[in-house]
Amino acid sequence: MKGKKLKSGEIENALNQFLKDEQHLVLGFKKGESGVSHQLFKGALDHYSLVNPVFGSNAALYLRRLFSKGLKVMLMLRPCEIRAYVELVKLTQIEREDVVAVSIDCFGTVSSKEKKDDVPVEADKLTGYFKDKDSMRWACSVCRERRGVVGDAGVRIDKSGDFWMVPYTEKGEDLVSGIEGEFEEAPADMLIAESAKTDKFQVDMGTFNKDFEKCIMCMNCRDMCPVCYCIDCVFNGDEYLPKGDALLNKVFRTGSTQMPRGKDLFHLIRMYHVSQTCVGCGACEEACPQGIPLTKYFKGVSERLQGVFSYMSGRSFDEPIPYVTFLEDELKDAMD
Amino acid sequence: MPEETGNKNPEIVGFCCSYCTFKASEMAGSLRMKYPEGIKVIEVPCSSRVDPAFIIKAIVEGADGVFVSGCHPGDCHFIKGNFYTRRKIAALKEMFDAFSMKDKLRLFWVSASEARRFIDKVTTFYNDIKEKNNEREKA
Repeated sequence: MKGKKLKSGEIENALNQFLKDEQHLVLGFKKGESGVSHQLFKGALDHYSLVNPVFGSNAALYLRRLFSKGLKVMLMLRPCEIRAYVELVKLTQIEREDVVAVSIDCFGTVSSKEKKDDVPVEADKLTGYFKDKDSMRWACSVCRERRGVVGDAGVRIDKSGDFWMVPYTEKGEDLVSGIEGEFEEAPADMLIAESAKTDKFQVDMGTFNKDFEKCIMCMNCRDMCPVCYCIDCVFNGDEYLPKGDALLNKVFRTGSTQMPRGKDLFHLIRMYHVSQTCVGCGACEEACPQGIPLTKYFKGVSERLQGVFSYMSGRSFDEPIPYVTFLEDELKDAMD
Repeated sequence: MPEETGNKNPEIVGFCCSYCTFKASEMAGSLRMKYPEGIKVIEVPCSSRVDPAFIIKAIVEGADGVFVSGCHPGDCHFIKGNFYTRRKIAALKEMFDAFSMKDKLRLFWVSASEARRFIDKVTTFYNDIKEKNNEREKA
């Protein structure tokens, strides 16, 4: 794979060059006084940070319903965020035309809930910090794709700590050719290797009910999920989660019930609905005020369901989402 | 159906495509064939109308089993509806498998003339569920 080796400060220069145009924006990370956070830059970069070791939310969430023409947005985000962006493009929630998505090698992140002050923000120090898998979020320790190999281009880090920019699409090539230096053959072995395969997810309803006992049905998990994009969610109405009179009618018909009602219904249905598009970023768990291990379930289930169709969410723009396509000759053992 | 005392009869919800399986169930009725009372058939315009959310809702709200049934692949009135159904239900089965309740969901194809096949399929499903419930009660 051909790419360009980046000298220090080269990315910032290129982005600043890009931002000189009034119609251009960059979505990336900003070093603030209390850690790193997402920032939409206009005009010029300011305290720019290439990596963000603290996970608060998935930035693809902010891109939903982006259809504008004539301006350009450059995304400099983590692979999970770019993968969610790719899924949203396929779900026609984002117009791909005006977006250049660059995924950056991710070392793993810590949760924003337990903000640790000692987390470094420099890429070279992060390798040491995240050497031990226990120091990162669980979602990151079992991440399927931490390499920046998705989107239009990727920023990769090789074993000696040098940065590479590798284009994957035409748009990416335009971007990379604007950077100083010659195209070279990028090393095949990068610092961040392919993720190991995780075990097949298996659980029973007893464990499920125990884990979700604490749920208060605030639906933060739904609202913060980057790929849970429906404007008119099935849980907004009375059909699935009855309130008031409808609830009383239901109880008169079926018997006493625990409140809040419908936890298992809500989570199981949502689990199915995002199954093919879930990128396993763990934003749901991050948003949960009750500390329910949501990632374990959503990621586990989605990996199994994607496995049925040998699909991986966010891997490429060309693979259609399995539920919207079919082959005539497949799934012979689906029916009983 | 003679009721066996002591055992709770399972309730099964079936989503049937109105062009094939529902017609087959009507034909079974007019031929005076019998299938268990516990089976509640719901008519849907096409088997692909069934959002897996319906199935999950039925199970969470107390159904012992759910089946989805439509025309044979290639025979769909809407040309390709049941191919989508097949994908959706295959994925849902995998999910139920992950939660160790795979036996609660079935998918089968029954065309409008196959009344006997319809009876066969639903009765086996009913008996299997009943057997499982009895085993669970004993344990």
